[in-house]
Amino acid sequence: MAEICYEVVTDACPSSVYESTPAHSRRRPRFQTVMHEDWEKNCKRSKQEALATRYSSIPRSSREDFSDQNVDVSSPRYGVSSVCGRRREMEDAVAIHPSFSSPKNSEFPQHYFGVYDGHGCSHVAARCRERLHKLVQEELSSDMEDEEEWKTTMERSFTRMDKEVVSWGDSVVTANCKCDLQTPACDSVGSTAVVSVITPDKIVVANCGDSRAVLCRNGKPVPLSTDHKPDRPDELDRIEGAGGRVIYWDCPRVLGVLAMSRAIGDNYLKPYVSCEPEVTITDRRDDDCLILASDGLWDVVSNETACSVARMCLRGGGRRQDNEDPAISDKACTEASVLLTKLALARNSSDNVSVVVIDLRR
Amino acid sequence: MESSKQKRCRSSVVETIEAPLPLVWSILRSFDKPQAYQRFVKSCTMRSGGGGGKGGEGKGSVRDVTLVSGFPADFSTERLEELDDESHVMVVSIIGGNHRLVNYKSKTKVVASPEDMAKKTVVVESYVVDVPEGTSEEDTIFFVDNIIRYNLTSLAKLTKKMMK
Repeated sequence: MAEICYEVVTDACPSSVYESTPAHSRRRPRFQTVMHEDWEKNCKRSKQEALATRYSSIPRSSREDFSDQNVDVSSPRYGVSSVCGRRREMEDAVAIHPSFSSPKNSEFPQHYFGVYDGHGCSHVAARCRERLHKLVQEELSSDMEDEEEWKTTMERSFTRMDKEVVSWGDSVVTANCKCDLQTPACDSVGSTAVVSVITPDKIVVANCGDSRAVLCRNGKPVPLSTDHKPDRPDELDRIEGAGGRVIYWDCPRVLGVLAMSRAIGDNYLKPYVSCEPEVTITDRRDDDCLILASDGLWDVVSNETACSVARMCLRGGGRRQDNEDPAISDKACTEASVLLTKLALARNSSDNVSVVVIDLRR
Repeated sequence: MESSKQKRCRSSVVETIEAPLPLVWSILRSFDKPQAYQRFVKSCTMRSGGGGGKGGEGKGSVRDVTLVSGFPADFSTERLEELDDESHVMVVSIIGGNHRLVNYKSKTKVVASPEDMAKKTVVVESYVVDVPEGTSEEDTIFFVDNIIRYNLTSLAKLTKKMMK
């Protein structure tokens, strides 16, 4: 496995990566600074340990119950890797909630995955991790939502999340971050949110900001989200139509300040920076996997390379067998996410990196 | 011999704050605590205190400012050029950092508002700075004016809260 992974990495052509990445989307290199002492809390070792704990805590009997009922869909296999990298502090957050739908409105399993990349501070991303899936759950009316209903559900959830972080900032701030009531910086804290709900027959993605969801289908990348950069023509039109302005400073920035055109929070930049998500709904087919990641990955790794790495890890032994032990594909997903994270760091990503790889093979 | 001088630009931002001058000035003049009202400042460390007075008060003091993530810079090094408690004038230069504001110098002046001398204060912040390469003068002024305006808006909110 390690050998195959290594070959995948060497096969990736750095120049093709840079060619495929728009020049203006690359962040200006930042000076390295001393890592915050909290870095250790966020290192991938503790993340993987937490993941292993979560997996081992799932009762074996509940899996047998699923198989006894001949439910077509097995529980999701996924891997997570989330590292501070060269950024001074960890401001990314990841949320994973298998079978997250509430009993009242769920006949089939629906699985929730979210990556939140905070800026300004960590508390908005942390709040999204704690709350956004619950808001989606509340907005869900039934298992059989059609396309319009999914869009409404996601748009309402994101709007409620945005209102929550704005009003919540007025009351009390979590002890985890250093904002206090006196600092004006609280108003300029925000987060991306790329969320995916996976149902037996559909992949729903809602995106706000410049994190990204990429489907790996037959080894080819299929983007399920589009980055919200301020110079995207329709975003530029919307911002200027609202009376705002995009200034190219080191890269295109809303009012010269923020490098993304949509985010949860950032109250001071409303209405130019919107919290409305773009929603895509994709029918499931013979898919390999889904990758959700922050721009710490996508700024330095192309969709094609990410797909190749993930696919190779998942297919280390070929197509998944009917009776394959769930632990095997969990491990493969984790290896894929860790390898992608390491690749991003090796390519001098200057940001936090968070990667979720979800096995979609049936 | 030809010498290409960097193009410079200048501008001023004026903000009227519903608070008495002594309160407004006491926050503005605290060179060692810009995070109290400056929106994008995460923390500040004094590098050297100038002669006389408490740390951060003396002319020549230098501070290292850490900026919040997502902002187009990580840190800035700034020197206090002048601080006059009688005329309520403060002059600050940016002398380093990984940003694009080169040769930046700002003068902040605080006066009681003619409208209501006891309860309103007018803050005027004027600055000069090089226009960064690849950026227009118009965009540079827009950007810096914007940052200053955000800071003064935060200052207004802070003083309002302090008076409750």
